[in-house]
Amino acid sequence: MNTRGNDALRDKLAAEYVLGALRGGARRRFEGWMYSDAALRMLVKEWEQRLLPMHEFVRAQEPPPQVWRNIEMRLHLKPERSSWHFWRGFGLGTASAAVAAALVVAVGLHQLREPSYDLVATLTDQQSQPALLVKADTSKRLLQVHIVGATPVPPDRSLQLWAIPRKGAPRSLGVLGSDGRATFALASGAVGNDVVVLAISLEPRGGSPDPNGPTGPVLYKGPWVRAM
Amino acid sequence: MPIEPDQLRTWLAAAGRQDAAAFRSLYDAAAPKLFGFAMRILRKRELAEEALQEGFVSIWHAAPHYEAGLAAPLTWMAAIVRNKALDILRRTDDTVELDHEALRDEYASTPAEASEMSSDARALAACLARLEGLHRLAIGLAFFHDLSHTEVAQRMSLPVGTVKTWIRRGMEKLKFCLSQGGLP
Repeated sequence: MNTRGNDALRDKLAAEYVLGALRGGARRRFEGWMYSDAALRMLVKEWEQRLLPMHEFVRAQEPPPQVWRNIEMRLHLKPERSSWHFWRGFGLGTASAAVAAALVVAVGLHQLREPSYDLVATLTDQQSQPALLVKADTSKRLLQVHIVGATPVPPDRSLQLWAIPRKGAPRSLGVLGSDGRATFALASGAVGNDVVVLAISLEPRGGSPDPNGPTGPVLYKGPWVRAM
Repeated sequence: MPIEPDQLRTWLAAAGRQDAAAFRSLYDAAAPKLFGFAMRILRKRELAEEALQEGFVSIWHAAPHYEAGLAAPLTWMAAIVRNKALDILRRTDDTVELDHEALRDEYASTPAEASEMSSDARALAACLARLEGLHRLAIGLAFFHDLSHTEVAQRMSLPVGTVKTWIRRGMEKLKFCLSQGGLP
């Protein structure tokens, strides 16, 4: 069902969506409609234009200089780096090369073994209903995603899996195929101690155009649990 | 002084063409306002810093897609920073402590520093001022603290149906008032 033809309801929902009062299943349904309904997206833009100026009611505060330095570093806005940065980067590079070499050896040793998943995550929707099961074999560096109860995805959209660290940008772990079942190489940073939660976002087909994080709504999420 | 929208629009367009110096100017001009906003939502400095940082990273990536006809530049940036702040708010386990008395003071009166605000914000303040105080409080709670109808009702010790009606009517009145340019 949709809201086409009921202008008053569409406007009310758009207002509540921007205000933040629209929640849970209603919010996700609304986001689903927005994807295929340009007129509804326009209503949302109009309400943002009306309500967002409320942010100006708040007193301005000077952010610490570190925030700009972090932004500059994340976006590589500074062409030249200090030598300290260069050597630090080089040191990390050799360290990860060593780790990679160790992994090649480890993968070689384990090649005959069937995957044995030692980490699992159940991703749930906002009503805490399980939607996807994510399993990782950290020794074979494998990651597998199964859909168990997720809402079907429109043909022009993809689900993308992210690791959300305590600080910094989400890390993409893979874009799910149209059947929802997917096996990926386990990305570095997928299972680190700083990973707070895994999340699935709804993205344009093929994945988020922004390498630094989701552009669409987060539909499902859940933390890693050690299986053994 | 309010930040000049035309100047922001110029910087934003240049940032969309990968002009790092223009992006820096945009940050210097808009970051204090947006940091204050993130602080209001998150109430913790380190979380507000993260929201501001994530917000500006997204602003850089999204700048080529900014359409000047659809939104004022500061409003557009505020929407991005707010989304980041709300993501953080939903991620953190501890609910932000809200002091009911402080909230009343925050929302029951409209802001005094009108000279600091853009014309859009002044019109919105004028229209909000024409709503009843409690209706304004309900709208402010939902907007700044990401509270659902039910949560707003709990904070205000009111039936949820009442809060829903107030918010719906408040939104209708705001829309009408803003279409008149905020003038009485």
